[in-house]
Amino acid sequence: MSLMSFMEAMSMNSFPLIAAFFIGLMTALSPCPLATNITAIAYISKKIDNGKKTLLTGFIYTLGRMVTYVLLASLIVYIGVNVQSISFFLQKYGERILGPLLIFIGLIMLNLIKLPSLKSGDRINKLKEKLSEKGYFGAFLLGVLFALAFCPFSAVLFFGMLIPLALKFSDGILIPSVFAFATGLPVIIFSFVLVFSVSKLGSIMGKVQKFEKYIRYFVALVFIIVGIYYTWRIWI
Amino acid sequence: MNKKLIYGTAISIFVLLLVFFIPKYLNGNVAASGAQISGDIEKVEVYHFHATRQCVTCKTVGAFSEETVNTYFSNELKSGKLVFAHVNVDLPENKALVDKYEAKGASLLIGVYGKDRSFSKQEDTNVWYKIGNEEDYMNYLKGVIESKLSGK
Repeated sequence: MSLMSFMEAMSMNSFPLIAAFFIGLMTALSPCPLATNITAIAYISKKIDNGKKTLLTGFIYTLGRMVTYVLLASLIVYIGVNVQSISFFLQKYGERILGPLLIFIGLIMLNLIKLPSLKSGDRINKLKEKLSEKGYFGAFLLGVLFALAFCPFSAVLFFGMLIPLALKFSDGILIPSVFAFATGLPVIIFSFVLVFSVSKLGSIMGKVQKFEKYIRYFVALVFIIVGIYYTWRIWI
Repeated sequence: MNKKLIYGTAISIFVLLLVFFIPKYLNGNVAASGAQISGDIEKVEVYHFHATRQCVTCKTVGAFSEETVNTYFSNELKSGKLVFAHVNVDLPENKALVDKYEAKGASLLIGVYGKDRSFSKQEDTNVWYKIGNEEDYMNYLKGVIESKLSGK
């Protein structure tokens, strides 16, 4: 049995959580989520000095994806928003904004664009700074945004397979959550690998930290390249 | 914040959701989706919906579907019992069709008209798993169209 027919059979499993998981895995392997996941992996690799944190960042990124998918599914299942209009809207705009946004983030990371300083002293901004310093807040936001980027094929998987499943069982929470977990799984697995290799290479990590600046440049470059890829696909 | 408390809360929420939803999963199977038309069939429509900008996979689905109907159903196509078309969802002239079929983007939709003027439509998502093997794809779609044409 080929991998595809296995995936197909599992995506039609009568237990919806198993089906949702495999539809999610298929999504993770389709072009757009793959590109966003690679970007997320680059972002997570930015700070590899602390194994536990790296792992948690991977999970928080997936949590961000989960929030988007649960929100979309809940809007459709519980509030009855028209699937067609929401699908067309996201396919039209979600993808278009993503490319320029990624290039923009990359340029910020390269310090080519300076954001207005947030040090206005109020508590929310301080909290934001604290969170973004750890990279958790950034990972969460990336997850939320990346999940909104629907390409034609990932839209088929989400709106054509997952949403009907959620509607059938009137479940806008658990089914999309399991789906989201599967779409973020490559990132989680990669963070595990990263943590494992970091603990192996622990002794030379002191040196690696010196190269953190270069790692950041590399990550920024990944953002810009993926951003150009999206922009080129959609706008040109 | 206490880490154990956070993990504990997360796990209990998950368990509560499971307890709430699992009975639904077990009961939900009874209600089959998509009303089937049985009896005399007037016409079957196979539409490949797509946007102006097509993904590689979307093009493949369109091409394989077209080849399937041309290879196996040329008589039905001529007689008008079977209709096949690529429909660009971005063009305003296709809006009526897109709304009728409730296409949500790239998709393969099959509509069946009964002689009693009934109409049913169904999206086929299985085809997306078969694009790696043209023979499989064509055999599968052939079977689906045959059963629709015969009103099963």
